[in-house]
This record gives sequence, structure tokens and C-alpha cells, in this order.
Amino acid sequence: MEYLSNDKILVVDLAKGDVEEEELSEELVAERIGGAGVNARLYKEYADDDPIVLGVGLLTGSMYPASAASVLTAKSPVTGKLCHCPVTLKVGIEIKYAGFDYIVIKGRSDKPVYLWIHDGVADIADAADVWGKDVWETTDAWRKGVGDDLLQTMVIGPAGEKGLDCAQVCYNYWTGPDRFGIGKLFGQRNLKGMAFRGMGLLEAAEPEDFVDEAFELLEAVKGNAFMSKKGLGPICAALGEADAEEWLSPVVHRHSADYFTPYATNTFAFIDEDPAAVTETAKPEPGVLISDIPALLAFKKLGLSALDAAKAMQACARQGVDPMAAATAGEKGGKTSIDDILSQVAATTEPAAMEGNGVFSPWCPRKPIFGDFGASDTDAWWERRQAVAAIFGIQPVFAVMCPQLTEESMISLSNIGGELELDQETLDTVIGDIAG
Amino acid sequence: MGIKIDALKCTNCMACEMACGYHRDDGFAFLSACIVPYRAREKKDYFGVLLKEEDSLVVARPEGTEINRIGEEADPDKEADASAKPMLLREACDLCEDMKYGPMCVKICPVDAISVAE
Ligand code: SF4
Ligand code: SF4
Repeated sequence: MEYLSNDKILVVDLAKGDVEEEELSEELVAERIGGAGVNARLYKEYADDDPIVLGVGLLTGSMYPASAASVLTAKSPVTGKLCHCPVTLKVGIEIKYAGFDYIVIKGRSDKPVYLWIHDGVADIADAADVWGKDVWETTDAWRKGVGDDLLQTMVIGPAGEKGLDCAQVCYNYWTGPDRFGIGKLFGQRNLKGMAFRGMGLLEAAEPEDFVDEAFELLEAVKGNAFMSKKGLGPICAALGEADAEEWLSPVVHRHSADYFTPYATNTFAFIDEDPAAVTETAKPEPGVLISDIPALLAFKKLGLSALDAAKAMQACARQGVDPMAAATAGEKGGKTSIDDILSQVAATTEPAAMEGNGVFSPWCPRKPIFGDFGASDTDAWWERRQAVAAIFGIQPVFAVMCPQLTEESMISLSNIGGELELDQETLDTVIGDIAG
Repeated sequence: MGIKIDALKCTNCMACEMACGYHRDDGFAFLSACIVPYRAREKKDYFGVLLKEEDSLVVARPEGTEINRIGEEADPDKEADASAKPMLLREACDLCEDMKYGPMCVKICPVDAISVAE
């Protein structure tokens, strides 16, 4: 596959300690499009090894708005199904710019390792020094090791190493969409995580036409009333949790966006620094980046202040525990004080109850945010929207926010950029196949 | 004329870096961009935008913009970012004079944090 791609599939055998490269054929893309579509096919191909498959969307890292995401596909120990977990922030695009489109991970290493992917090179590297360390220490160590603070990582913490169902794969320092226990799968394979960095170039078949259409789309997106807002507060309000916005406000520092995502879907909460500070804080670890709206609301429901909820989120991020699992365990155990909840975080074992069909992550709110999609059956609409986002590489929360990001526009830009002839029928087939 | 950045409005999305990279390399890339949101101090949530101009490196910080003349010794305590170094080797902003959309970073910024100042 010449365009929008690196033309590379990497197959990693952790048991043998070797890596192999394959080409990404145009036929595979024509049939399965990308992201979760191709991941599911690769999973099937290597099913005997029960692999973890990481893939970029066909549009990931392009000038299509919100093309921020990649996707981790694996058999979830929580749902027993093949699930598709979005890779968000700027980690999703770094995978593509580091030189690979798909990474199939099979086997189990006999000692702790991590995958180090940089500028088209893949190494299985020793992780003995970070095994037992938390998510923050690990990302810090890897960044320091290569002297590059822009290294993007996927990491498990102690929860993943222990092989718990509540374990999450975290991104850089933060919790993410993994409600599926993919963190456990990493731990079972002695895989501490992956690190990505690269300065690739992705060609488009018709770059000018691509940019024309993408900019037209961007203008339409920018016309949305929600574009005057930022962060998690307004999202909570739009989901019917009007008081959550006010509740959260005392800890809000700044809001940030995943790659080229027009709405900032991440809010940074300061814990031991004044949230109103605009200059750089001297505190090395003043707070936590929050993207998990349902978990945040679950901590609120336990009666925590926003400050305490942020502390709980931070503890989950360090331990690599799904915050929704921690909040659920807190609720079951009747925990209401922050000290109890903080000690609960490291003691959490059970996953959160799974909403939906267990294939896409309910980390993304399960109804339209702001936008009117004219959906009558919200569940089916949401599953489809998540599927489409996971195929093309669209930031999943923005996908349920912005009606202008139509399937038609994703197909059209893929065809222009990739010199393809995708149509709605192909997309419907792939969606039908991955949506379980 | 020059590019003006409101770092407080910025959401650190990297779209400007992509648009500038596209202007340089006719593909999707960040390699040669002369506008780069800095994001290395991730745990501190401290971010803004760097811009390389002909004679200066503009550091748009949330607390205000600082213009460092290239060649002069920068204050080591105020080093902007690890990305400041490779930036100095890149081509300076030419305001996208050959692009039909004009300055691509202005066009793409979803939150209108970038504008052209006379
Ligand atoms: S105006 Fe053009 S050259 Fe200058 S920073 Fe913006 S995109 Fe880059
Ligand atoms: S495009 Fe705008 S919001 Fe995004 S990083 Fe650049 S200046 Fe910031």
C-alpha cells in the first residue's frame, strides 16, 4: 500500500525474541480498509497464537479532522470477545510516524521486555529495570533512556504485571479507554509496554484534493456551537450531568486535544498546584490528565470532591488500573473517604461492569454529545460510530460529537488519499464483521 | 507581516505542525515544520507554540510571547523545549507564500489560536 501508509506489518514473536516484516498489500486494504478492520483479519490469521494486534486507521495522522487514533485489538479477558481499544492522545499517530501500520504480537517472553519502535526499526528491548515500576516511572525511564521527552508510550503498571482483569494499558502517563483488561494480556506476556518515535512522511495520492476536501470539512466542523467550549465539563453537562461542570471547575488547569481533534477532550486537573497558574509550575507532578468521563462521574457519585476524584484518577494512572474498575470497587466496598479509595486503587482486582456489547470501550460516552445525529436506536448507533472510528482512526469521543464527520467523507478522503475505490458496501461489511 | 499565536487558546493539537509540514514536504509529515506546539512537559501540563522566523525564534507561552534573536545566547534557565534545538535548523516561516490557502497553520488551527499580524 503506497499511500497513507508505511506499507509495513510487523510480526513480533516474544517467545523467540524476533521480529519480521511483511508488506501491507493493497488488496487487504481494499477489502478491510484499515484499523480494526485489518486488525481483526490479522488476529484471525494468527489466531493460534491469540495475538495482540495494534493497527493504525487508514486516515490516522492525516489532515482529516480528528484522525488521532490507532486501535489495539485482542481477545478481552473481561468480555471474552475480540475487542477494539482506541489508542488516543498523540500516541495513536506516533505509531504511524514511527514507521509501521500494523504490529502483531504473539508468544510470551521469558523475561520482561518492551517494544521500541523508531523510524521504521523495531527492537525487543529489555524491561528488567522497569518491571515492578509504575506507569509514570516507566515512561520517565524510557524517555530519559533515549533522551527524548516526546517518546510516546503504552505502559502497564503493577496491576498489569500481576495479571489482574482491572489492569489497563496506559498512554504515556494517563489512563485511557482500556476497559478490556488488555493490560493483563501485556503482563501475561511479560510485555511492559511499547515506545514509539518517528519522523515519517506519509504520501497522499492526490494531496491537493485531499487538503481541499479536508479543509472544507474542517470549516463545517468549526461551525458547530460546541466549538466555543473546551474540556470535560461541558461534555458532562451535555450528557445531563449539569452540576458536574461546576463540581470539576476548582481543579481545572487547561484542556488539551488529541492530534488535530477540534474539541479538547482532555482536561488536566491540578492537585497540589494552583489551577489558575499560567506560568510553568515548579512542581514536577502537579496533577493528572483526565479523559475518562464515565469514571470521573463515577467518582463524583461516590461523593468525592473533584480534587479527591483527581487524586484517585492519578493513583489509577500510576498503578495502571482502570479508574472505572476502581470506582466500582469503591462503591461495592462502601468506600467514601479519599484515603479508603486511594488504598482501594492498588487493591482493585475486578473489572468494571461492561456496558454495551463488549467490543468497543464504554470509556467513550454511549450517546451523542452536543451534536444531533438523528439516531433512533442509540446503542446500535454508538456501536457503529465506534466501529467507523476504529477503522479509519478517528478520535472516538469526537466521533460521537461531530455529525459532519460522516462515513461518506471518510470513504471519500480515503479514496482520494489512498488511490482506492472503497464504497459503502465494503465499509458495511467490515463494520458487520468487527462489531460482533 | 508575521504569524501571531495565542498560546492560551491553543489546545496543543499539533494540527499547525502538520499543516506546516505539509507545506514543506507535500505529504503528511512533521519533519520540516517551522511551527511546533511544544509538549515535552506533559506531566506539568505546560504547553505553547514555537515558531521559527528568519531572525528569531518565537516562543508563544501561555503567560506571554517571547522573541529570541537567533544567534544570541538564550537564557539557559528559560530554555523553551527540547524541540527548540532542531527547530533552528529548519527553514524559517515564509507565510506559505506559494500556497493557495495562504498561511496553512492559520487555516487549520481548529480553535483560531493563530492569526496573521500586520
Ligand atoms: S505560515 Fe506557513 S510557513 Fe509559516 S508557520 Fe504557518 S504553515 Fe509554517
Ligand atoms: S493548531 Fe492551534 S490549537 Fe492546535 S497546536 Fe497549533 S496553535 Fe495549538
